[in-house]
Amino acid sequence: LRGPPPAGSVKQRPAKRTAFRKFYDRGDFPIAVQHECIGNKIAWKVEIENLDYHYFLPLFFDGLCETEFPYEFFARQGVHDLLEHGGNKILPVVPQLIIPIKNALNLRNRQILCTTLKILQHLVVSAEMVGEALVPYYRQILPVLSIFKNMDGEL
Amino acid sequence: KKSEVSEVMTKVDIKPKSMHRAKIWSDDVENLYRFQQAGYRDEVEYKQVKQVDEVECWPETGFVKKLQRRDNTFYYYNRQRECEDKDVCKVKVYVY
Repeated sequence: LRGPPPAGSVKQRPAKRTAFRKFYDRGDFPIAVQHECIGNKIAWKVEIENLDYHYFLPLFFDGLCETEFPYEFFARQGVHDLLEHGGNKILPVVPQLIIPIKNALNLRNRQILCTTLKILQHLVVSAEMVGEALVPYYRQILPVLSIFKNMDGEL
Repeated sequence: KKSEVSEVMTKVDIKPKSMHRAKIWSDDVENLYRFQQAGYRDEVEYKQVKQVDEVECWPETGFVKKLQRRDNTFYYYNRQRECEDKDVCKVKVYVY
């Protein structure tokens, strides 16, 4: 007698080509990477305060699925900057962020999981009522996290 | 919250007399780190080059929040400390 085959719930899935990568390769993002002697930072060609968050924030979140440089760096640092300086522009965009977050988590990639979790931590403290706004979407975000909840230190 | 430096120093092209490296971290070292990341010596040079009176800072910590580089792109900085201990010795402190 043989047991059932593994379901592959923790197996990594291949990532599809993201919209973030397509837009970055086309030069549609108002950003440039600067390599200084002290750390790496994103230089924004346009002030973040003037950016349309409904357009750019979901695009940057879509880039969380990336693992290669420079896409992974720009997506991660870009999301960080947008959340840090977004203020009240973030809350209305939260529903549009759920699909990119879900796509990133569904890849079951350990690096992407860690990055996405840190981004989620930043998201909920970035502006008022964002945490509450995520509650209706728990059923879409939490199942994948539940699969990995017992992997202490292994991620 | 905006930081302010003597108006006289920003209007006249003043050069520093000496420079030494920072040894321990402080709020001033943090802000110098941020200016030097953006390509300026310090707040004095930034105001001279960009012809502004004030620099945008985080109200909670007083750290620099946003700077415009010489190529007119923008750098944004965190509310909390960014200069790690290993980077402190790279920060230049200018004396006028």
